[in-house]
Amino acid sequence: MTVADSTFENLRLELRRGCLTLAVLAQLRQEHYGYTLRKDLAERGLEIDESTLYPLLRRLETQGLLASQWREEDKRNKRFYRLSPEGEQILSRLLDEWNSINASVTRILDANDPETK
Amino acid sequence: MELLDRYLQAVRKYLPVRRQDDIIAELRANMESQIEDRESELGRPLTQGESDDFLRKMGHPMLVASRYQPQQYLIGPTMFPMYFYVLRIAMLWAFIICMIVAAVVTPLTQTGGQAVIDALFRTPGVLVQVAAWITLVFAAFDFARTRYPQACPEIPGITQNWNPSSLPPLEKAEHSGKPRSFTQTIIEIVMGVLFLGWLLLIPHHPFVLMGPGAAYLQAGPFLLAPVWWTFYWLLIAMNIMQVGWKCIELARGTWERPSPILQIVSKAFGLIPIVFLLTTPDHRYVLLKNPLANQMHYAQTLHQVNEGLHFAFIVVCTIIVVQLAFDIGKLIWGGYRNHLAG
Repeated sequence: MTVADSTFENLRLELRRGCLTLAVLAQLRQEHYGYTLRKDLAERGLEIDESTLYPLLRRLETQGLLASQWREEDKRNKRFYRLSPEGEQILSRLLDEWNSINASVTRILDANDPETK
Repeated sequence: MELLDRYLQAVRKYLPVRRQDDIIAELRANMESQIEDRESELGRPLTQGESDDFLRKMGHPMLVASRYQPQQYLIGPTMFPMYFYVLRIAMLWAFIICMIVAAVVTPLTQTGGQAVIDALFRTPGVLVQVAAWITLVFAAFDFARTRYPQACPEIPGITQNWNPSSLPPLEKAEHSGKPRSFTQTIIEIVMGVLFLGWLLLIPHHPFVLMGPGAAYLQAGPFLLAPVWWTFYWLLIAMNIMQVGWKCIELARGTWERPSPILQIVSKAFGLIPIVFLLTTPDHRYVLLKNPLANQMHYAQTLHQVNEGLHFAFIVVCTIIVVQLAFDIGKLIWGGYRNHLAG
């Protein structure tokens, strides 16, 4: 891996980190357990490693943004997560922030794109 | 599935004890569901190779477990700049104190060069201890700040009530002084050679050093101790080295901005003759030509002269050590700033 590749990879991971949290919170407006959540996100185009997603769920739960419960499904005990009331508020604020950043970046890119001038 | 059990067992070993069962149960449920899904897609159980690939993709057990750890760093990005600043200052002062102890206090309290060498060798250990304590204190503070933010007080002047007017005035830019000219370098070399010649004349013509005092020394009851000969040759060696270094700079075309590292090395070498004199047993710099005859009469004067010289060497040594520490600190700080700017 070249230095440029390594720099790109670090920046990509940094960029993805916040986006993943947002996507997970948004997806957990409906109840999921780890594996189905991962599948749903992947089906919508957002691949996420198991080793990233499962600890992230734990962290978000510790922060009070998710609520979880163990329940049996298909003869197997699984831990189901969903957005907590506090998580809903935080998600709403994060989405506002996300939309604002997205709109700003789009405007900046448009302003600097010679084809749109 | 034995391989999955072995994998989860390995992950468990690196997990926090309190949450091991819960995390492993959840991981197992998720991984088994994933394997089931894959097997139903294929219409057969996974082969050994496919199971290996699946676990390989999950990652090494230690890495997987590490993601469940709440704090990934000892000192977080918020505290790190303050930590690094304090560490630098503390290390610099610890180094200065160690050098003063080694070069000044040790020769005063113990005799022999070995004590000074021992004191110098203790310096890295002291620096490591200072760094360890500072790191420990900051890590504990950062841990407390992260876990119990309400309980941690604000730091006046940093996290609250910060006043931009308290910023220090603008510093002079690095290398703002005029570069050394070619003529200046030539003059320095010529003066160096002349000084060397003057030094070499001293043994045969003490007058060039002491003036009329040379005659007094010759006629008087005192003589210089043999320790001065060693000091003298060390001085000659140092001056040859300095002149040689200036010639090399001239040849390489780097005379405008002399290397700060070489300047520090040169200053450090300058310590050797002084430390050598400081470690002279019983501070015998001046002796009596005829001790049997003159001991009674000149013993007190001799003692005063030797102690006076010893005190003078202590002062000189202290000045050089402080200058050296300051230069090293400046060099490290400059290097760090250049690193950040680069």
